[in-house]
Amino acid sequence: MIQNFISMNGYGFFVWLSFAITFLACGIVYYKTYKTLKKYEKDFAKELDQLSEAERKLVLEKSKVASQFLASYNKSI
Amino acid sequence: MLDLINPSRIFNLIEKLINFINSIFFVLLIIALTFALVLSPPDYLQGDSVRIMYVHVPSAWIGLASFTAIALLSILSFVFKIKNLNLITKSIAPIGLLFTCIAIITGSLWGQPTWGTWWAWDARITSMLILSIFYILFILTHKLIEKEDKANKVSNIIAIIGLINIPVIRYSVDWWNTLHQPSSIKLDGTSSIHPSMLLPLMLMLLVLLLYCALILLMKYKTEIIRIKKKNIKRI
Repeated sequence: MIQNFISMNGYGFFVWLSFAITFLACGIVYYKTYKTLKKYEKDFAKELDQLSEAERKLVLEKSKVASQFLASYNKSI
Repeated sequence: MLDLINPSRIFNLIEKLINFINSIFFVLLIIALTFALVLSPPDYLQGDSVRIMYVHVPSAWIGLASFTAIALLSILSFVFKIKNLNLITKSIAPIGLLFTCIAIITGSLWGQPTWGTWWAWDARITSMLILSIFYILFILTHKLIEKEDKANKVSNIIAIIGLINIPVIRYSVDWWNTLHQPSSIKLDGTSSIHPSMLLPLMLMLLVLLLYCALILLMKYKTEIIRIKKKNIKRI
């Protein structure tokens, strides 16, 4: 039965390769996207951290995204 | 309505959506794969090779839908000059290219046992190849042109020109005598696919759409952070 499932009645090579290529490609794109996002988050947090107290206060007041980002980033680390 | 895509309004929502999709994704994936590889029956003519349909067809649909979305958003961006729309189209493009390539490769793997050839210069297959070229041009525009406004303008034009190819892909099997089979699934209810095959197909479509949403949200978040990082110095 397992032999039949693997061989797919002679079409195993085509079927398994199709699924493998699909999920491998999706996995690689997910990994690259995740890595890039984390890199940008880290760089952005570092840049905010390097600002003086007054500058940071100004940025956080003016940019809602920056304040939301900092709140969620601090929670995640 | 357009305020809904305002980054400051949806930034927290993006994080919540990413966590939600991550929490349900693998369960749905296992269910969909069980249906596609184990529970669905082999085709009476094509045998088990029909299972390739469960990755090939949703990938082709996503490739087409992504480009249509890019083109429509490009038109809106062109008319209303909304910069956020360009961030969204830029985030959709790699997903569309990925699934168009998957559709072409899995189509080739399905073609060999079914038609006896890996490739044919058939109207449907060739128009899908042209679609992938439009995606590549769109992505390269953003990579090669440094000025963001100019890159957005050029990429919008590419997307609008590429929109002409979408009905060609959709109706190529009806307009020309092609090797590729006509659509088995129609929205008007005259589908010729059996429910035992339709269910796994829809499940795989759902899983791949969730994957697309996940990548889109992560890419959109990356774009928002990139823009905000640039703006820090200005503030």
